[in-house]
Amino acid sequence: MHIDARTLPNGTVLEGDLCIVGAGAAGITIAREWIGARQTVLLLEGGGLQYEAAMQDLYRGDIVGLPYFPLEAARLHLFGGTTGHWAGFCSTFDGIDFAARDWVPHSGWPLRREDLDPFYARAQPLLELGPYDYRAAFWQQQDPALVPLGLDPSAVWTKMWQFSPPTRFGTTYRDAIFAAPNVRLYTHANVCTIEPNDAASAVQGLRVRDFAGKELRVRARHYVLACCSIQNARLLLVSNVGNAHDLVGRFFMEHLEIPSGRLALAPTAAPAGMKMYEWIPHVTKARGELALAPAVQREQRVLNATVSLDPGAPDEVAQSTFQAVTPDVLAAQRDSEAAGSHEPSSPPVPSPPRSGRFFHVMTRQEQAPNPSSRVTLSSDRDALGMPRARLDWQLTALDKQSFQRFYDVLGREFGRSGLGRVQVLDWVRTEDPAWPRTLSGGWHHMGTTRMHRDARSGVVDADCRVHGIANLSIAGASVFPTAGAVNPTLTLVALSLRLSDHLKRRLA
Amino acid sequence: MNRRDFLVSAASAAGFARTRDDCDALAHPALLAVLGGETVRGIGQRYRALVATERDREPLRSAILASGPLRSFWMPRAALAQRVRADFAAGRTVLVAGWVLSVTEARQCALYSLLPSPPTPR
Repeated sequence: MHIDARTLPNGTVLEGDLCIVGAGAAGITIAREWIGARQTVLLLEGGGLQYEAAMQDLYRGDIVGLPYFPLEAARLHLFGGTTGHWAGFCSTFDGIDFAARDWVPHSGWPLRREDLDPFYARAQPLLELGPYDYRAAFWQQQDPALVPLGLDPSAVWTKMWQFSPPTRFGTTYRDAIFAAPNVRLYTHANVCTIEPNDAASAVQGLRVRDFAGKELRVRARHYVLACCSIQNARLLLVSNVGNAHDLVGRFFMEHLEIPSGRLALAPTAAPAGMKMYEWIPHVTKARGELALAPAVQREQRVLNATVSLDPGAPDEVAQSTFQAVTPDVLAAQRDSEAAGSHEPSSPPVPSPPRSGRFFHVMTRQEQAPNPSSRVTLSSDRDALGMPRARLDWQLTALDKQSFQRFYDVLGREFGRSGLGRVQVLDWVRTEDPAWPRTLSGGWHHMGTTRMHRDARSGVVDADCRVHGIANLSIAGASVFPTAGAVNPTLTLVALSLRLSDHLKRRLA
Repeated sequence: MNRRDFLVSAASAAGFARTRDDCDALAHPALLAVLGGETVRGIGQRYRALVATERDREPLRSAILASGPLRSFWMPRAALAQRVRADFAAGRTVLVAGWVLSVTEARQCALYSLLPSPPTPR
């Protein structure tokens, strides 16, 4: 059932069993799981069913610290959330991503990869992916042209990705949500305050506001924040909830997506071609990227990363993600899709390999968890009267060192195997701690309400419940204690399924 | 030292490694097939600028030959390829113009950069 909250009278109280705040990948994933249950689910979406500039402006915020993409362009504020403009890159976190690594401060999840496996498997069809199998050998069986390079996998291995069409949650799951008798989707329902009880041990209700100043109240047995990493933190900070240990908003993480080197393949290196490493939007189902084996990561004391090999010419300068996909490009894509086209409006389709032997090497590296990298509140307020978000993105020496060591290993392995040679870009090899102008993230916001067993080290526990608050959980990448090397969507959908199962047991 | 090692060392010491074929191989790194002559020449020039003691032909040849016996001295190209791979495996690498190179092949590039440039086709 869908209700536009603007049509409700001032002071209306919405009541249900489970209230999900935010209808993006995480929120819709959970809501779908409850379709047909006997409990009533309230799904609150701040935006509408279509893009609206005024709604999007609520995501505008201040950027201090390292340069960052405009916040209002990095996330979509409408039903379906940021799946409205994502590219569909999916892969699993590695076992090492969940481990406490003594060279990575604040690392370690209260979960293991094995704990997430069943949920990864369930997430695959939701994202319209193939079988839950991320082994290169499996994909080579499906397509014999997918041949991994003959590197020593104990040093450098081919990590597989799968590509969602990409699934636009706002259109793909709209009918099911609308038709569900026990799920009430309220659009234009921006939550401005979480109201705790007097003991601050539970949430008593939520306050929803619109541009006209009208307010609604929401009451439920349990609440889930699923508004994305920056907005989850913002809402908790505004409401002064869950922040007893000054952790909310800290540990903001991104993936560092930066052109870092070039690869010249030997003429005999890939007799079967490089299809394994190609990506053609809307066409490629699976491809590989190169990553360091876990044992090498331990030995080198580096963060996890993968590199893509993008065909190019030796004298070309590659662009970072932020440089290549500007807010204008995103807007054009959004407009194109709104007009009914499912083809990309911009030209991200890579041209075929020109020489076939030269590649730009683009790194996607996890960011080291850093309490100083954080979201706080701005003194500026949005049209609903809420303090805007203020992002202070900060990196550490480990982030830079990891690039250097990664490329040292990669260069040695290509040389040892005789498959080619790697050229490291100037900014990687300099000892200068400064970052290049190509510094870029992947619009992957993570970590602002991190998961930890101990309330002094994390905002949520291993079940994604806010420490000290009996009926408040958080869904999405904000709970990630570490960022992994791969895009977060598959993992956040898997975690949302896991949270949903947990809540079903609690609310049964 | 076994008989084979003895023969190899003796051959190197006796100057077998300075046959015409060998000199040709030393100055023609396998890297040429990967990066092309212009890039290899540039790498060689950078290496010679970086390493003051290896700017000329003789010190470069000596450095290559002194860094370990060329076990297959009668097949210098194969032996050099093996040496280059061994360099990478052992971490005997050097960054020149950003390229991660084996020390041996970097010296080969330097030797190559000392060869006269091929005439520009008209």
